[in-house]
Amino acid sequence: MAVAVDHTLDCCGLSCPMPIINLAKGIKKMDDGQVLELLATDPGSKLDVPAWCKKTGNELIESVEENGVYKYYIRCVK
Amino acid sequence: MSKSDSEIGSMRLLFLTLFGKAWPMWVGGILLGVGNICLFIVLKPWGASGGILNWGQNICNSLHIVAFGSAEEPLPAVSAHPYSVLCFLMLLGAFAAALMSKEFALRFAPAGEMIKGLIGGALMGLGAIVGKSCTIGGFFSGWPALSLGAVVFTIGLVIGTYAALRYLLFEMEKFPKISTGKTAQFLSAPTGRVSLQPLIGAVVLIVALVMAFYYNKSDNKVLVCYVLIGLFFGFVCQRSRFCIVRALREPFMTGESSAPVGVMAGILVSLFGFATIKFMGAGTPKEMMWVWPHFWVTAIIGGVIFGIGMTLAGGCVVGSIWRAGEGHMKLWASLVGMIVAMPLTAKYIAPPLYEALPPSMKQQFFLPAKIGYGSSILIFLAIILLWYLFVKWNEKTGKFSAI
Repeated sequence: MAVAVDHTLDCCGLSCPMPIINLAKGIKKMDDGQVLELLATDPGSKLDVPAWCKKTGNELIESVEENGVYKYYIRCVK
Repeated sequence: MSKSDSEIGSMRLLFLTLFGKAWPMWVGGILLGVGNICLFIVLKPWGASGGILNWGQNICNSLHIVAFGSAEEPLPAVSAHPYSVLCFLMLLGAFAAALMSKEFALRFAPAGEMIKGLIGGALMGLGAIVGKSCTIGGFFSGWPALSLGAVVFTIGLVIGTYAALRYLLFEMEKFPKISTGKTAQFLSAPTGRVSLQPLIGAVVLIVALVMAFYYNKSDNKVLVCYVLIGLFFGFVCQRSRFCIVRALREPFMTGESSAPVGVMAGILVSLFGFATIKFMGAGTPKEMMWVWPHFWVTAIIGGVIFGIGMTLAGGCVVGSIWRAGEGHMKLWASLVGMIVAMPLTAKYIAPPLYEALPPSMKQQFFLPAKIGYGSSILIFLAIILLWYLFVKWNEKTGKFSAI
């Protein structure tokens, strides 16, 4: 995974809707072009995160799964 | 580099289609709507709080805390009460589905979240008994039952959901420590290696089928059906991540319409099935089923309290059950909260409240009794259409979205 991460948001253990609420709050604090790494264990995030990115115009660079932890790399687009 | 469909093999492809990705919510909604009609044909419509209440009452009796039932009307055992069986099988069905999709894991949320789960569950217990309904009995089944009380209850749900969502956003801003802290995950399926989860899931399915087999041996046809339909419901809910809380909350969050539309689809399917059953069963007990005597005071009070609780917990009764099956411990806390709150509310809070209300404030409002079946169906269709138009407009304009 060769993306430089500017900030990591750990939402492991949180269930819907907390990961998305945290994501929205986290992206607000970031600058254009910065990359946010979101960690989540809620299977619902697999659909929610891409949908939220699409809706808000932030770029989902990549998503991977590692032993039950879903990792999302999101580039802030303001 | 992925294989083409013909190389993968039909069985594997079928398995991946069912368990590789979540099902769309509208698919879940329609399947649940159909299952609901089957339940109504077998005995009564889908409901969730009744089963949890029975669990709580049985626990109270076993622990000699509060006594439920009497010599003339003993409390049904958890294995004999149809809705208790239904709830248990929904849990098993969701558990099996999560395992077969390799999505099961014991997930512990931070302490503050677990407490919100517990409190949310307790509020749901209070709201469901006071309002004589939950998101199923007072909404997903309540609208198809052509009960106007269900519309009032739903208005309460929306108010409660909105209030709790604003609280959650406030809490995240001013007291972020509550929803952060130590978390833990166990037993998740390892990536890229063979997992035992799908096999265990298949075993759980077999266990459920064995239960149906045993009820069949004792000629209990109702429970055979409730076992199979309950299993189906739990399975479908987990696969489609069906969530009524989301349907009512999403317009105020991202504005995305798939959840409300999914619930609408289910209500529409059930609406036609229920109306047919009731119309053909006019004058029989079926006609008034799921028309609760809560119009309008306890419907609105119960709805608001339940709406707050479900949003704090992150799932309604059914949502708590299927997420518990998937391993989310916050929703197990929610179930505990409900199991404790429901019998206590039923014994100490609801009876004096209902005593104090005049008959006009605790009516069974069956709309066809006032304006006939045709007009009633048209009115409910109009309500659903208005809701659809609002949801789609809000999705485009984002006027009500808070995040």
